[in-house]
Amino acid sequence: MRKGSIAASLFWLSAGWLILALVATGFLLTDLYSRALDNSLSDTLEFHVESLTGALLETGNPLSSDIALTDPRFNRPRSGWYWAIRDADGAVYNLSTSVVGIALPELTELPDMLGRRSAIVSDSFGTSMRVVERTVTLAPKTYQIVVTGNLSEILELVGDFRGQAFIVLGAVGVMLAVMSAIVARFAMRPIDRLSRAIEAVREGESVAVTGTYPREIAPLAEEVNELLRSNSQIIERARNQVGNLAHGLKTPIAVLRNEASAKKGALADVVLAESEKMSTMVSTYLERARLAARTSVVGKKADATMIMLRLTRVMRKIHPEVTVAFQRPDASLPWFRGDEADLEEMAGNLLDNACKWSKGQVGVRLSSERVDTGTMLLIRIDDNGPGLSEEDAQKVLRRGVRLDEKTPGSGLGLDIVKELVDVYGGSLALKRSALGGLMVELRLPTARLGSMTKPVAP
Amino acid sequence: MRILVVEDDTNLNRQLKEALTEGGYAVDVAFDGEEGHFLGDTEPYDAIVLDIGLPRMDGLSVLEEWRRAGKTTPVLLLTARDRWSDKVQGIDAGADDYVAKPFHMEEVLARIRALVRRAAGLASNEIVSGSVRLDVRSGKVTVDGQSVKLTSHELRLLSYLMHHKGKVISRTELTEHLYDQDFDRDSNTIEVFVGRLRKKLPEDCIQTVRGLGYQIAED
Repeated sequence: MRKGSIAASLFWLSAGWLILALVATGFLLTDLYSRALDNSLSDTLEFHVESLTGALLETGNPLSSDIALTDPRFNRPRSGWYWAIRDADGAVYNLSTSVVGIALPELTELPDMLGRRSAIVSDSFGTSMRVVERTVTLAPKTYQIVVTGNLSEILELVGDFRGQAFIVLGAVGVMLAVMSAIVARFAMRPIDRLSRAIEAVREGESVAVTGTYPREIAPLAEEVNELLRSNSQIIERARNQVGNLAHGLKTPIAVLRNEASAKKGALADVVLAESEKMSTMVSTYLERARLAARTSVVGKKADATMIMLRLTRVMRKIHPEVTVAFQRPDASLPWFRGDEADLEEMAGNLLDNACKWSKGQVGVRLSSERVDTGTMLLIRIDDNGPGLSEEDAQKVLRRGVRLDEKTPGSGLGLDIVKELVDVYGGSLALKRSALGGLMVELRLPTARLGSMTKPVAP
Repeated sequence: MRILVVEDDTNLNRQLKEALTEGGYAVDVAFDGEEGHFLGDTEPYDAIVLDIGLPRMDGLSVLEEWRRAGKTTPVLLLTARDRWSDKVQGIDAGADDYVAKPFHMEEVLARIRALVRRAAGLASNEIVSGSVRLDVRSGKVTVDGQSVKLTSHELRLLSYLMHHKGKVISRTELTEHLYDQDFDRDSNTIEVFVGRLRKKLPEDCIQTVRGLGYQIAED
C-alpha cells in the first residue's frame, strides 16, 4: 500500500529544479559579468592603441619621447599594463616605462578588418594580460603598436563576484527550499485531515466522513461516505431479510413442535425430534447470518450506561422476584465501539442468566480498564446463585454446552454472547462473586474519546 | 381465570387455546390485531397472550393502545424476534413477559401462571387458606394434606377465589372470568358449582356475602 510520499515528491521536484536553476543563474551571471569587464578592457586598450597611433603619426618618429600615454599604470613596472612600438622584425623602437625585464609577446592571430589583433597572454610573472596590436605604416616602414592590459585584476574581480553571487543565490535557494517544504506540508494538510476523519469513522466516533475538503480530494471523501452508506444499507437489508426469515420459519416450527408433543406415536416422535433440530439450526444460522452481516459495520458506538439502565428496568419487570442493583457509573465512562443491539444482546443474555440462577440478588457494575491495546469497557454481573465450579466454568465457555436443561431458555444464549464477544475482540471471564454466586466479567472495546462526544443530558 | 390469545397462525392459535384450556383457563381467541384489541379492550381478561406480528394492527401497537387506555392486564408477548433489543422494545411498550418462538407450550403455561399470580400479588405457587391448599402449577387441591378431586369448572372457580382470597367476588365477576365469550352464561351455574365445591371442601371455606358475592378468607 505504502510507497513514496507526495509531500517528499513535491519537495524534491521543486527543490531539484530550484538548485539547477540557481546554479545555472550563478554561472550565467558570472559569465556575463566577466564578458562585460573583458569588453570594457578591450575598448580601453583599443583607445590606447589609437592614441599611440595618433602620436606616432603626428611625430613621424617612432623613437620620439613625445609618444606616451597619460594613464599612470603604464609607468608602474610589472603592472601588466604595457605598450610598445616595434617593427615586423621585432626591433623595439619605443615602450612604456612599465616594461621591465619582459618581452612582449608576438601575436600570431589573424588581424581583423581594421588590421588589429587581439589575444590573451601571460607574462613571465604569471600575470594574465589582454593584448591588442595594430599595424601602422609610416613610409617606408611598417610598425606594430602593442598595448596590454592586466586581465588578472579582472579575473580576480570576476572570482569575487562569483563567490558573492553564489552566497546570495545559495541563501535564496535555502529560503525557497524551506518555502517549498512548507508549501508541500500545507498542500498535504487536507489529506491529513481526511485521513483523520476516516480514522474517526473506523474508531466509531462518527458515522460519516465530515468536514470540507478542496476540490481535488472532496470526491474521495464523498466516495468514502457513499461506500459507508451503501455498506450500511446492504447490512440493513440483510438484517431485515434475516428477521423476516426468522419470523417466517419460527411460527411453523412452533406449530409442528406443539402439535407433535401433544400426540403419541412414531410419527409424532419423528416430527418432534426433527422440528427440534430445525429450531436449533434456524436459530444458529440466523445468528450466524447476523454476525456475518455485522463484521463490516463501522462507525458505530453505544452508551453502555443507557443500555444497562434499560436492561435492568426490563429485568425488574420479567424477574420481579430478583433485586437488580445497578451502580450507575460517572459520565466519563467510555462508550462501547460497536452496534447498540449487539451490546444489548450480550449484556441482556448475561443479565437474564444471572437473574434466572440468582436467589434474589443481582448486581451490575460498569467501569473501564486500561490495557496495552487501549481502554476496555468492563461489565461485571454478580449473582448470589449457586455459582460454578472451575470445571463447569471452563465447560460453559465452550460452545453449545448447557449445564442444566431445566432452566428455561435455549442453550444458544451464551453461544451468541461468546460469538459476539469474539467478533468485537472482547473477552468473557467467569469468577466467584462477592455475593456468593457467579461473577461474569465482560470486556469490550471502547470508542476513542467516546465520552467527549456524548450528548449532554438536559 | 380467563385468557385472551391473539395469534394469526390458525394452528398455533388452536394449540395455545387447547393447552391453556387444559391448563384450567377459559380461553378467547383473536386472529388479527384489531379483533384482539377490541376484545382486550372490552372483556375482563386475567392475562393476554399476544403475538407481535399480526395482520391489520401489529402486536406492539395493540399493546400500547391498551396501556394508553389504562388497561393493566398482564400481557405475554409471543414473537420470533428474540434479540434483546426486540425484548426491550416489547417490555417498554408495556408487556410483562416475553416468550420467543418456537416455544415449548409448558413455558407459555408457566409464564401465564406466573403473570396471573403476580397480578394477584401472590409470591408463591401455592395458595393457602385455612386447611385448603392450591398448587397453581399442577392444579392440585389438598385439604389437611388429603388430595381432593375437582372437575375443571370447580377448579377454575376455586382457583379464581383463591387468587383473590380476602376479597368479595360478585357472581358477575365470576361469570366473566370463568367462562369464555361463547359460553352460555347463566349465573345459576355459579351457584351450582359453589354448592358442589362446598361439599368437597371444609364447610366454612367459601363464604357467601349476602347481596355481594362469595369470599375465601385470608389466612
